[in-house]
Amino acid sequence: MKRHKLDKALALGEARGLKKFLQRDLTPYLVFLIPVTFLCIFLFWPLVNTFLRAFMKTGNKFNLGVLSLDGFKKFFTSSLYQRSLRNSFIVGFSVTGFSLLIGVPMGYFVARVKMVGKPLMLSLGILPVIMPSFIGAFSWIILLGRQGVARHFLNLAFTPLGIELPSIYGMFGMIFCMSLTYYPFVFLLSHGAFSSANALLEDAGMLMGAGRWHILKTITFPLVIPSIGAAALLVFIRAIGNFGIPAIIGGDQYVLPTLIYFRVNGFWDLNGASSIAVVNVIITGFVLWYQKYIVSRHEYETVSASRVEIKQHGHPAIRIIAMVYCLFILIISLAPQIVIIVMSFFEKWQGLFPEGFTLANYIRIPKNSSNELLNSLYLSGLATILTAILGSIIAYITERRRPKGAGILDMAIMAPFILPGTVVSVALLSAFSGKHWISIGGTYTIIIISYMVRRTPYVYRSVAASLTQLNPSLEEASTIAGANWFYTFRRVSVPLILPGIISGSILTFSTLLQELSTTILLYGAKTRTVPIQIYGAVADGKLGEASALSVMLLLVVFAIVYVTNKSQGKGLSSGFKMG
Amino acid sequence: MSLDLNYRDVTKIFGAGGKNPVRALREVSFTIQPGELFCLLGPSGCGKTTLLRSTAGLESISSGHIFYGGKDITSIPPFRRNIGMVFQSFALYPHMNIFENVAYGLRVRKTPEDEVKRKVTKVMELVGLMEELKRNPSPSGLSGGQQQRVAIARALVYDPDILLLDEPLANLDAKLRRYMRAEIRRIQKATNITTIFVTHDQEEAMAVGDRLAVMRKGIVEQIGTADELYNKPNSAFVANFIGKMNFLNATLTARGSGLSNVTLAHAGLEIEVPGARNYLPPSITPNTMVMVGARPEQLNIDISKAPGGIEGKVLIIQHLGQFVRYEVSVDSAISSQAFEIDMPALVDGVAEGDRVYIAIKKGKASLYLPEQGQAE
Repeated sequence: MKRHKLDKALALGEARGLKKFLQRDLTPYLVFLIPVTFLCIFLFWPLVNTFLRAFMKTGNKFNLGVLSLDGFKKFFTSSLYQRSLRNSFIVGFSVTGFSLLIGVPMGYFVARVKMVGKPLMLSLGILPVIMPSFIGAFSWIILLGRQGVARHFLNLAFTPLGIELPSIYGMFGMIFCMSLTYYPFVFLLSHGAFSSANALLEDAGMLMGAGRWHILKTITFPLVIPSIGAAALLVFIRAIGNFGIPAIIGGDQYVLPTLIYFRVNGFWDLNGASSIAVVNVIITGFVLWYQKYIVSRHEYETVSASRVEIKQHGHPAIRIIAMVYCLFILIISLAPQIVIIVMSFFEKWQGLFPEGFTLANYIRIPKNSSNELLNSLYLSGLATILTAILGSIIAYITERRRPKGAGILDMAIMAPFILPGTVVSVALLSAFSGKHWISIGGTYTIIIISYMVRRTPYVYRSVAASLTQLNPSLEEASTIAGANWFYTFRRVSVPLILPGIISGSILTFSTLLQELSTTILLYGAKTRTVPIQIYGAVADGKLGEASALSVMLLLVVFAIVYVTNKSQGKGLSSGFKMG
Repeated sequence: MSLDLNYRDVTKIFGAGGKNPVRALREVSFTIQPGELFCLLGPSGCGKTTLLRSTAGLESISSGHIFYGGKDITSIPPFRRNIGMVFQSFALYPHMNIFENVAYGLRVRKTPEDEVKRKVTKVMELVGLMEELKRNPSPSGLSGGQQQRVAIARALVYDPDILLLDEPLANLDAKLRRYMRAEIRRIQKATNITTIFVTHDQEEAMAVGDRLAVMRKGIVEQIGTADELYNKPNSAFVANFIGKMNFLNATLTARGSGLSNVTLAHAGLEIEVPGARNYLPPSITPNTMVMVGARPEQLNIDISKAPGGIEGKVLIIQHLGQFVRYEVSVDSAISSQAFEIDMPALVDGVAEGDRVYIAIKKGKASLYLPEQGQAE
């Protein structure tokens, strides 16, 4: 009887559905169509295209008739492919391992040991991430290259012991450089976890008679594991997708991203590149899934902030150890920036001291690179504006309207976040170069689209975060007061999530200025950017010119980050964690 | 001029078609009179907020109809319903000053500037915020009570047909709450807009509302004035939700039109209940287990055993000012819970731990059907 009534109510509800739908405010659905269409054309279709191409014969022909596994067979037959795959694994895991080894103790020290200059350490710690990784790589060539300064000193110390430092070119250099580039993720995330872990839990352990070490092992550590796990995942994803460092100091050691570049640039073999891209994505996807699986298997309490002050170590011995350790790491990881600045004022630097002070490197910039500077500003600027609009709308719709399939949209929008830049460009190339209805290969448009696809997650995340903090009743109050969806969106939602939009956009802009891995496969003679110019200069051995350009790039990025941090308080630098 | 608001068979099912549909409202039907201040009262999850949000159009109902002045508004989208609403969190816009906050609904309606000024001033005068309007700060510069007034002003400024208040006092401290509920009643009476006031606090509901509806599990249990609900609760749930009611397990022995007789379980005591206080359904015949209800002030404590006295042991004595509350445990067959008994003054010779005898004052007992979950 009751069941019957329930059914009746449900049937009634459905019959009324259409009438209700037509009476409703349809604007949000129309607005919703824009990002969905964009994603379908420029994300789904390229990815599907890439996946299909991965099963086609070597070359550039899109032929669904003949499918083959040739592209994947190479991983069993070609030694270059095998070595690249192995290298990618080794680089991915060892960089993750080293980043944890460097970053976790540093995070713990800064969070839990009495030290001076902690805020400075935290802001200096972020620098390696803000700086383009390939700039770090070529500055390490100056330091540790065949005739590098530091290598000179180190050999003086080690040669008598019969140890010779490995060459910076190759695996050692890649792992070394990437670890120093990516450890800040671990440092900052573990610092956050160590300093915000609920101090009451540790106090309770202490009151029950547990010693310090015991508490660290049984309470503190298990509580920060999720944060450290997230940081490790981030490092792995970035390390395995990094193009700049292996391209500059990989030497004859290829990794998957450089192998993709090699297939496209050397052979114009999009199908072969797609196979490699698929393998690359599968590895990343597997690691991502495994990390989620591990975390979900253990019931961790989410680390929550509490008002109780965390006790800090005050013992002189541990304070000295902590200070020395942190300074040592910071100096090493900041060495590239200093080297780049010095280098930019000299003609060459081989051996102990730089030689031939000059301003020519800077003077040459307007003549040689003005086009690239304008391109960088134009491409990054326009892409940022479009990304801000796209990301905000998607965030608003998924967060507020929760339409059916919001979960899929959420996953889709975050997908480019784990896709290596070279994979994104391969996907776009395979979808839109050649004789397709929308031929945008080699244009500004394809670069802007690739930037949008890659950076939408930044704005999306940032806006979604500010939306979750925005009480829905603020918007409901507007609806009740008689405002339609668009009026509410314009007058209430947008002004209130504006800080989120701005910080997401600035993050997008400052990372796009240094974008290399996507651009390198998509640029044409007219669309060269500053990072491409730097990369070219390094390849030609013009380190002075490369340094001067890098310094300019760094100055612009730092200025943006600094100004935003000043006006918005903290927060932007932490945004780089996801980037 | 406000009109009446009528609910007919309003049903709301969350997750319909899913595995666990939740029926938040089950065929709710009742009418709110024009200009009435009507309270929706009930424990959390009873459906009161869902009913309020459905009235606003923020939730769409699964079946049934809502009529305003005889016109079916069920399918009208919320922004065309001309309703004013005050949210629990006040939902004031932090990026606007209080003038713009209040003027919001007028701006939406594209009201001319001079009329906006006139109307905002008028409504701010009504809620008593003229001083603040001159300073015109942003909402964060106001106290909780002032923010509350701004929220009310914002909801009233465009002369809505219906005013909805969603637990409007929950975010205020106890003292301010008592003051503001009187203010809300004053403002509502001054504007005479049909108003629904949602709360889980029975004292607040009784103080504010012309009439109250007690809801539970998506059903309206009883509708009436505060006096009717307190003195004539028609179910054990309402009896214990509006004020405190002590319950005694008993067996119905005889049922008449004037008086009904029950025998208390185990104690063997006979109690007479007036017919008007018998809330048993007509189908209940003698030899059925029933419950006898008595409010704390309807019980008496004696040191010596009097006819009709139930033996008990004093657990706690609390002096609460106007009266003294005794908590007395009795034979668990009669009641598993300790009785609350309010005496006008301390009873001589009774201390905590003492044995006492409890009696229901003559003609004050009520009869209810036992049900699960009648206790809190």
